Amino acid sequence: MCGNAISTEEVENKWEAHPIWPKIPPTYESHLAFRILLFISITTVVLSLAVDIIFPSTINWPVLIVFGLISMWFSLSMVVKTRNNIPKNIMWQVAIVSVLAVFWDWKTGWDSWSLEYVIPTISVAAMFVMYITVKIMKVGVKDYITYFLLDSLFGIIPIIFILFKLVNVLYPSVVCIAISIIFLSGILIFQGESIKVELSKRMHI
Amino acid sequence: MKQSRKTEWTRLDNASKIFPSNCNRRDTKVFRVSCELYETVEPEILQQALDKAIQNFPLFKSVLRRGLFWYYFETTNIEPTVEEETNPVCAPIYFKDKRNLLFRVFYYHNRINLEIFHALSDGTGALWFMQTLVHYYLVLKHKENFSAKPPRLDYHVSTSKKKDDSFKRYFVGEGIMAKKFKDDRGKQDKKPTPYHLKGTRIEDNRMKLIEGAMSTKDILELARRYNTTLTIFFTSLFIFSIYREMAEPAKKRPVVLSIPINLRKFYESVTIRNFFTTMRIGYQFGRENSSFEELIQGVSECFQKELKEDQINRNLNLFMALEKNLLTRVIPLSIKDYSLRVAQKIFDQGITAALSNTGTISMPPEFGSYIRQFGITTSARRPQVGICSYGDRLVVSFTSPFQETDIQRNFFQFLAQLGVEIEIASNL
Repeated sequence: MCGNAISTEEVENKWEAHPIWPKIPPTYESHLAFRILLFISITTVVLSLAVDIIFPSTINWPVLIVFGLISMWFSLSMVVKTRNNIPKNIMWQVAIVSVLAVFWDWKTGWDSWSLEYVIPTISVAAMFVMYITVKIMKVGVKDYITYFLLDSLFGIIPIIFILFKLVNVLYPSVVCIAISIIFLSGILIFQGESIKVELSKRMHI
Repeated sequence: MKQSRKTEWTRLDNASKIFPSNCNRRDTKVFRVSCELYETVEPEILQQALDKAIQNFPLFKSVLRRGLFWYYFETTNIEPTVEEETNPVCAPIYFKDKRNLLFRVFYYHNRINLEIFHALSDGTGALWFMQTLVHYYLVLKHKENFSAKPPRLDYHVSTSKKKDDSFKRYFVGEGIMAKKFKDDRGKQDKKPTPYHLKGTRIEDNRMKLIEGAMSTKDILELARRYNTTLTIFFTSLFIFSIYREMAEPAKKRPVVLSIPINLRKFYESVTIRNFFTTMRIGYQFGRENSSFEELIQGVSECFQKELKEDQINRNLNLFMALEKNLLTRVIPLSIKDYSLRVAQKIFDQGITAALSNTGTISMPPEFGSYIRQFGITTSARRPQVGICSYGDRLVVSFTSPFQETDIQRNFFQFLAQLGVEIEIASNL
């Protein structure tokens, strides 16, 4: 390589005789699932537009499909982004699904199904799913306690729906609020210290 | 449950703050310290040595976590394990939301390697850990030779001092913001943009590492011949090697190298956390090609200017002031991440490449017949040089994300022409 100092062959010879670094095969991350999903999404949008033009109807199907796909991609991207932290992942899904449900409810003529059923169900479901996952995966207290706290606080929000008479069907909200308050008092009583420590860490400025 | 209450946490020091926001698959912010022995490394003994060494460096048993406003270290019970090398050079260590140790120890034939995420420690801190590890390894491996009188382990200081945030101790950072901005307003826009290196990236975001090992004596002799120091000599040589590859129209732009300064040399500190700052050493070649001697002259003047204590003090106080500013503190971390990425981009615009000289590594003389050499390598966004020496072996490690190796060739060719014998090896 460097004129009189050392030739390329010498480097090669030395390399073969006494390797310093292992030969590492290239690792290409396979995004095949992602590509298939993207392809299906585009195909669906194109087909729905085509069908809509050929057979016009009163409902604007293509717009619904586009929004549906955007919702799916939005939710999916958060799943992938927070895949290393399951409780955080679940909490994000609760938030995203709730926002999307309200949005869809609003855009499809406000029947308040999002507030009556979706939000209470998803917050309670998240609580149980979170509890089971952290137990199975042996996640440490400090790593899940913040998300338990957030979810149980979130589960109390339906109180506002009842107080402001935003909902007609009461029982899902009542069940959700009751479970959330019990859950919240449980973690505050038994894990209050951990919560304090955890919050002081996470919120330091 | 009991353990969670005992968990300790530490803020990141001033210099560390930039790394977590800016690490990605292209630039992992990981650097490697390697030690080559004259014999094959035995994994079981290395594991025992690691178990002992980690006791002296409790801060290394941390994971990095995201708070609402800042990142922080949290102690963990994860035990480090020794592995055979299976990853590319300086592969990613920190993954958002993953709780893993911020360093790894692995071996390959005669080499013990340590890779560290830069937020945890700097070159000096990592070298101390490496020295301790190699020390324990050799004492365990060659019990029969050392049982009577084990060599002295030099690095013995209290744990609290090792975890010291020396930035906080020495730099107050008060009342400097307004002054700095006032000063800068007049000065800006005068400096021309430095030359930027471009190249074809290697597939898979790999680093091309070219190591040149030579005699320390030869190099010192050479530096003396040019009447300068080793760092200035290599800095000038690197600038010269870049200059020779510049296209004619680009030659009116200066070549600027970023060079870290180990602050432990200026302020008393034995911290294993980051305690360094960087300076920019630039050189603008004249219309007629400057000679190497002229270049060395220019570079040395630049060194003298940058290494003045009040200059260093000023820069660090500014960084400290930024960190302490209430507005910066209450910005949520996800936004801070973006602004720190912009800061890094601006910093990168101001430099051409980087060089780091960690200096001489000393180990007890009894180990002389076991240790061949040490080397230091970093992940890089553009060609970067790491230099360190042990005994009469000085190792220059070039890392680059690019396929092209013209600068590296110029560098070693120049040394060879001056009569230095070089042993070259490359990973790709």
